[in-house]
Amino acid sequence: MSYLRSWWSRIVGMFTKDRADDDLRAEFEAHLEMETAEFVRRGMAPNEARRQALLASGGLTQAAEAVRAQRGLPWLESVGADFKYAVRSLRHSPIFTLVVVTTLALGIGANTAIFSVVRGVVLKPLPHRDGDRLVYLRHSVEAPGGENVLFSVPEVQDFRDGTKSFGGIAEYSPWSFTLRTDGDAVRVPAGLVTGNFFEVMGLDPILGRVTSPDDDGQGVPVVAVLTHEYWIRRFAADSGVIGKQLRLDSQTATVIGVLEPAPYFPDRVDMFLNMVASQHHLSAQMVQGRSHRMTEMIARLTPAATLEQARSEVTAVNTRITSEFTESYDPGSQYRVTIMPFKQALGARAQLTLWLLMGAAAFVMIIAAANVANLTLMRGVRREPELVARAALGAGAGRLRRLLLAENLLLTIVGGVLGILLAIAGVGLLISLVDRYSARAGEVRLDGVALGFTLLVSTALAIVLSYVGSLPKESAFAALISSGGRRVSGSVSRQRLQRGLVVAQVAVSVVLLAGAGLLTRTMMQLSEVQTGLRTEEVLSMTVPLLDQTQVFVPGAQANARAGYERILADIRAIPGVSEVGLGSSGPLRRGGFSLDVKAEGKVQDVGEATPRAEMRTANPEYFSAAGIPLVSGRPFAVTDEERSAKVVIINKMLADQLFPGEDPVGKRIAWTGEVLRFAPVTGDWRMVVGVVANTQDGGLDAQPRPVVFQPYTQMIPISGALAIRADSNVARLIPAVTRIVRRHAPNALIENVMTIAQIRDQSVAPRRLNAALVSSFGILAVIIAAVGIAGVLAFSVSARTNEIGIRMSLGADGGRVERMILREGGILLVLGLASGITAAILSARAIRGLLFGVEPHDPATMIVVAAVMGLIGLIACWIPALRAARIDPAVTMRAS
Amino acid sequence: MPEKLDVQPGTLALMILRTIDVLGALHGYGIARRIEETSKNRLALNYGTLYPALVKLEQEGFIKAEWRASENNRRAKYYALTPAGRRQLARETKEWNEMADLIAAFLAPRTETR
Repeated sequence: MSYLRSWWSRIVGMFTKDRADDDLRAEFEAHLEMETAEFVRRGMAPNEARRQALLASGGLTQAAEAVRAQRGLPWLESVGADFKYAVRSLRHSPIFTLVVVTTLALGIGANTAIFSVVRGVVLKPLPHRDGDRLVYLRHSVEAPGGENVLFSVPEVQDFRDGTKSFGGIAEYSPWSFTLRTDGDAVRVPAGLVTGNFFEVMGLDPILGRVTSPDDDGQGVPVVAVLTHEYWIRRFAADSGVIGKQLRLDSQTATVIGVLEPAPYFPDRVDMFLNMVASQHHLSAQMVQGRSHRMTEMIARLTPAATLEQARSEVTAVNTRITSEFTESYDPGSQYRVTIMPFKQALGARAQLTLWLLMGAAAFVMIIAAANVANLTLMRGVRREPELVARAALGAGAGRLRRLLLAENLLLTIVGGVLGILLAIAGVGLLISLVDRYSARAGEVRLDGVALGFTLLVSTALAIVLSYVGSLPKESAFAALISSGGRRVSGSVSRQRLQRGLVVAQVAVSVVLLAGAGLLTRTMMQLSEVQTGLRTEEVLSMTVPLLDQTQVFVPGAQANARAGYERILADIRAIPGVSEVGLGSSGPLRRGGFSLDVKAEGKVQDVGEATPRAEMRTANPEYFSAAGIPLVSGRPFAVTDEERSAKVVIINKMLADQLFPGEDPVGKRIAWTGEVLRFAPVTGDWRMVVGVVANTQDGGLDAQPRPVVFQPYTQMIPISGALAIRADSNVARLIPAVTRIVRRHAPNALIENVMTIAQIRDQSVAPRRLNAALVSSFGILAVIIAAVGIAGVLAFSVSARTNEIGIRMSLGADGGRVERMILREGGILLVLGLASGITAAILSARAIRGLLFGVEPHDPATMIVVAAVMGLIGLIACWIPALRAARIDPAVTMRAS
Repeated sequence: MPEKLDVQPGTLALMILRTIDVLGALHGYGIARRIEETSKNRLALNYGTLYPALVKLEQEGFIKAEWRASENNRRAKYYALTPAGRRQLARETKEWNEMADLIAAFLAPRTETR
């Protein structure tokens, strides 16, 4: 009890110090007076009595100190004093403080932010129940655009029957609906799923229920499970949404549940519906068509199965069916099924970028730490005399260490706090970047673990620095005191450490710079890529007028065509519009629909992949309006009507593939393959009337794909994309065009409203951000490294002032001294450059996937990087070298 | 003049408590004088020894301090025993006596052993 109580009064004592000091002074005074009075009573003279009383007190100051020590918590108070002192001494070296705090803040901030994102997107366990048992299967062929061709229902069934490793295989088919409410129509991306989908995925509803196998098949009501994000966005998280009826196209779906928050995969959808929502998905074509591939497969491994087992089973099934159903799998296309953990499939696109940024940030942290270490070492040596003076005045080694620790801790704490602020801002920025690549961006939070880790590392750094750093050995105190503390020492091992740190800094900076250089060149190469279009003043937008459910209704088709004619006529009349075209997809966009194609009179070689081409439509003005150059032949004409001869225009890519070295104009091609049995196209021969240039559809870094254009009139107007060319500033036409479309089709969707410039930018922007981030890390690193070199050399110069003074008095001139110091720095620089370039060439291969149009070991980049680093390094060496050359021998000699 | 002794740690608190117990509330000077007299001037208490001890006793709640006028109309800080202090004094006195007995038994002349 009394123990606790005395602690409490001690803590209180720390805060009531001033009043207590007054009190103590009064008490001492009273004591003195009484004792003086006593001495006087015994017959002393008053002055003598006072003196004796003071003598008997044993020293008032010491007594007061002892009382104070008893009253408060002396060690805590002296810690406070240490920090107060640390603040004062750091304020005396503002540059040092600024550099150290900034480097630490950047290191801690960047690392925390990026690690938070990596954790959220890549490392954190999935929200799915036993998410690490989930696998994703991907079907691919050897052809452009063949990375993911999806599965057909018979194929899914084969995998269900032929594998034992899967506890369940869920089917998912992307589809979209038009959701109509009063006077409004929006496109709703949706996933059509089998009843076992949620069971396999391990996802639960937060409201209502999810689908079950009872919702499979014909004759059941259409039910919808909303995604969490859509429920909040569209229904403001209203819990009364269950049972609501949604008008999707021409049918009604009942909302049965809301899903827990989960990353979207493979597409960002608003809701999941049972298969009955699309009659097509239950049709014989879909269910029995082996090459009618519209389904994604996600499977759950049984608890006993391994990924390897599953992989060999899947390969076995694939081998069996490709040899059994040869008409569906031409050997040249090499149908392959790959299996990967679901988590990996989710993070695949973000991973490389994130690891790149993580690496860059870690590098910055390394350089920052090295720099802090170096600066602290140097500062420590420079203040050796001060420490010696303190030691001479009675400060023990422990106390000195505590002082240094306080300073270093203070630096780290301030750096850390600034770092946290940076991290908060950085996480916000990175989330918007990652959102493009990863379904899990929504899960990213500023990571406490990451923050804790970086803070821990930097605190450890502070502690280590105050030990390794700068304290003269206790045994050396006496010698130092006697030498008057003037000697500025730099022990050999300490200098070696400093030099090693500088070399490392230069090397790491070079690696970062090389990365920045490669990414910047990637971005530049990419923005120089020609779109293949003649002009950029083109606005495109997609306006589907034909309802999906009415595709085969002739009256509806005619209505849609008439609607487009009216819209085109009105847009043509807008001042400034030079041309308007209509096609199935806008310029630089990918058409959704690829089919096998054959050329008349050509026999496919054995083992050669069946050519595939995107099927698109275009009206006569489409090519000139979109700026797609005609290479040979003619564009479509108004005479290419529904009932006239079937004609096509192909792009250069397909022309080269089907008719290498020949003029395709006048030749005939036809769609082919099993898919014709259920696709709304025929296998008639169609004559090639023209060839158009390749365009960068689907991104500037994408490989052009073979395309076949059919006249708009000879194909069902499934979708309609307007291509509007203007004299200048096409973006200003958006409101007028939108008004016209709304006037003729009040309920139609208006999608993908973009100018060519915007489409271009869409593929450059992420690279630009990559390049900008890594470049800023690189520049940062170079600055830090330059400070490092200059600092170490300057330190070396000041340590050698005497030596230099002697050399000069013996006849060395300024130039010679300058060269000596330059050589010293030059060696460090060359070592750093050499190891840096080697490391850069080795490590750049890791980011090959992020590069475009530039090799990872690109010599030009490496040379420029080396030159930049070398030049900056040289300047950093020159400053201390010049200072050394200006040393006045007379002054130095006298000073020592 | 007899050689002055250093105050044994731990014993000073007991001396202070006992002094206040005997004389009633007392100021620092009074306590110091009384201890020096009782020790027949073999103990010398300077401020640096006495006052921290007083602060400590106060923190532990064994004594409490109060400013009041002294006998010759000076203001002085008077220390008085609290009930806890009284109990502590009794306890420590007992412990000290037992310890003294024990030490005395150990240090008794050799002849008493067989």
